[in-house]
Amino acid sequence: MNELLIKNAFVIDPINNITGEQMDLAVRDGRIVEDVGANAEVIDAGGCLTLPGGIDSHTHVCGTKVNFGRYMSPEDMRAGREARRGVKHATSGYSVPTTYANSYRYAIMGYTTLLEGAMAPLEARHTHEEFSATPLQDMMANTLFDGNWGVMEAIRDGDTERAAAIVGWTISAVKGFGIKITNPGGTEAWGWGKDVTCIRDPVPYFEVTPAEIIETLIRSCEMLRLPHSVHLHCNNLGKPGNYGCTMETFNLVPDLNDKRQTLYATHVQFHSYGGSGWKDFCSKAEPVAGLVNNRPQIVIDMGQVMFGKTTTMTADGPMEFNLYRLHHNKWSNHDVELETGSGIIPVLYRRKNLVNSIMWAIGLELALLVENPWQCMLTTDNPNGAPFVKYPEIIALLMSKKYRDAEFATVHPETGSRTVLPSLERELDWNEIAVMTRAGQAKALGITDIGKGHLGLGAEADIAVYPLKVGEIDPAKEYEQVIEGFSKAKWTIKRGRPMARDGEILVHGENTTIWADPVIRPDRDIAQDPDFCEMFNHWYSVRMSNYPVQDEYLQRNLRMQSEADL
Amino acid sequence: MRIILTMRPRKNPKIPIEAEMIVPSLLMKGDDVTVWEGNRERRLDEVFEVAIEGEASSPADVEVVLRGDTARVKRIGEYMDGGQITVEGDIGMHCGNFMEAGTIEVMGNAGGWLGREMRGGTIICRGNAGHYCASGYRGEKKGMTGGRIEVFGNAGDFVAEYLTGGEVFVHGNCGDMPGVEMHGGTLTISGDCSRPCGNMTSGTCTVFGCAYGMMPTFALQGEEIASDGEKIHSFTGDVANRGKGNLFVRRYQYLE
Repeated sequence: MNELLIKNAFVIDPINNITGEQMDLAVRDGRIVEDVGANAEVIDAGGCLTLPGGIDSHTHVCGTKVNFGRYMSPEDMRAGREARRGVKHATSGYSVPTTYANSYRYAIMGYTTLLEGAMAPLEARHTHEEFSATPLQDMMANTLFDGNWGVMEAIRDGDTERAAAIVGWTISAVKGFGIKITNPGGTEAWGWGKDVTCIRDPVPYFEVTPAEIIETLIRSCEMLRLPHSVHLHCNNLGKPGNYGCTMETFNLVPDLNDKRQTLYATHVQFHSYGGSGWKDFCSKAEPVAGLVNNRPQIVIDMGQVMFGKTTTMTADGPMEFNLYRLHHNKWSNHDVELETGSGIIPVLYRRKNLVNSIMWAIGLELALLVENPWQCMLTTDNPNGAPFVKYPEIIALLMSKKYRDAEFATVHPETGSRTVLPSLERELDWNEIAVMTRAGQAKALGITDIGKGHLGLGAEADIAVYPLKVGEIDPAKEYEQVIEGFSKAKWTIKRGRPMARDGEILVHGENTTIWADPVIRPDRDIAQDPDFCEMFNHWYSVRMSNYPVQDEYLQRNLRMQSEADL
Repeated sequence: MRIILTMRPRKNPKIPIEAEMIVPSLLMKGDDVTVWEGNRERRLDEVFEVAIEGEASSPADVEVVLRGDTARVKRIGEYMDGGQITVEGDIGMHCGNFMEAGTIEVMGNAGGWLGREMRGGTIICRGNAGHYCASGYRGEKKGMTGGRIEVFGNAGDFVAEYLTGGEVFVHGNCGDMPGVEMHGGTLTISGDCSRPCGNMTSGTCTVFGCAYGMMPTFALQGEEIASDGEKIHSFTGDVANRGKGNLFVRRYQYLE
């Protein structure tokens, strides 16, 4: 029996309504329990801030496009190099580091669970291989359906149940977790040399609109009773004036689930732009956040931009092509057969650049203007807005008006006339930060029931102890301490085992892949459907029998089964 | 101050030595530095016989002399900020990386990446230089940004790749693709080369010999009088990259 006692912890656990209480946490066999025996290993937290392990609900750390980011940016690998030492593998890289570097850096910051934001089903094996080389975090993968031919044909035929059957079969075949839609229909339209300007333009050949794709997949997701909602990257990412399209999309969303949101809209910063071009580019965070405040069925994440070098990667191929035409740097584009596509380019966000400065401000505005922290997650869309190692700085920016003003003084001087950030007085408190970095994520992903994101009895013992004494420091003034504290957890505990301490990695670890498996009635099993099989075998470059990811690709794993309403 | 480093005989002379500590400003403080021989860390005096003559008050007064079989010694003069290094024989790869000031003189041949990402100072190579002389590094958009490199022999492929500033002079021939992706600085080649300056956007390259496999994406502007008083063809390009670089070639041949 493996027992651990964390004494004198100052616990904030929003899901269990603990907003700062000095207590002891007992752990047995990786779960939080009432108490443990006298022989348990003891960790003295010394009154430091203790939170459930961090959860990143949208990050790009594993899979083909991440790996292609590594291929095409050898210069990125010159940063962050560390030799192999103790249990640690050698690491390198900054914005697209090696899998181990990702894992260690997240662990040092107290993160224990990650959701890979976009996995092309056909290329799922690569993602799972990299999951097994990300040893210190539990992993999930959102599965891309934005340009899935089978789904689009079902939508054209008005057959939502068929769309749901295809989605359900695919997710369980590739061991995915949720439904990701990236620029719905847009990448497919681009494949035909066309584009969709917003949600009402039909995709060529299929003659379905992005709005129909979104609505059908939302209904499919609820039919399949998946733990997570539809995870949407709206159309028109990064285009001036796109906020209108974002709001039109948000207005489509019904409220279908009483346990969680019905739509998770990701990196909304990139979708809250005003103006008609780059010259009159401005922030529209206010109307977007206002709409989110009136739609409890929507959860967003920030997609905060931080200044410096990074790599942008997304399944939104056309968007990356537009970025390439702006930057004239390297560019990669990839088409995934009947499913989706992707694009990658390296970028440098500069303080002296007005557009970049406005982007930086918009992310913060969203987080400050969305009233309910359960509706806005803290992310950078790693590494698109910035590498995740910038999270502590973002936390400090949200907690301190003084820090925001100091940073604001260093950005492009015209930023003030295009944003509302300087007028926002709100400073988030510790509890709100705990919601935006773990509890809210767990709820949005639907993984609280498996013991994620909280520290109640029976919860998984993923715990982060930060060297921060909540009563003694004023985050509004001493923001540097906040940055330092969140950068380097005193202890990071995963499944009851200390895995990082003061920036040192202690164990090699073994993660869990969490995947969804909706159980569908045999007569609706799409793998038995002759039309679908014929379409599949005719167009795909692989046989249908070779498509599902074999069990060998999953080592330790947790299957979240659901009874589909189908 | 003269610091004379004489290579001791080695059992296996092919094992590379990583010696980024061989820089005047570091050696003037003492010889208590280490180098890596393969995967073993060695004290400097295990690998070299060290003789020190005189004293110095600043790196500019220091001359480091390397003797013996130094063809496998890598990264000497990295981040060098003054003084002189003289290599009496050949030198290995990455000599003078990121060099900022001072002089490196190589009497023999230099390995690959001579003066890569150099920022200032002077490198003189009396023999031949390897590939990627005066270039950038994998994936970087900026190569050499300042200083001067002069090679009296031939140079390998990709000379002055991503050249951003400074001056590169090759008295002999160059290999394939000199000045590729150049966007500043000057590159002068006395001999021949092939496929010069692809994707160039700015800067000046002059080829006094023949440019084989001349890029069709350079627009011929006419003839000018070169520094040697003779006529030379003037091109601008690389048009395919909306470039406005200057390429002067005495003779050129397109691919068949």
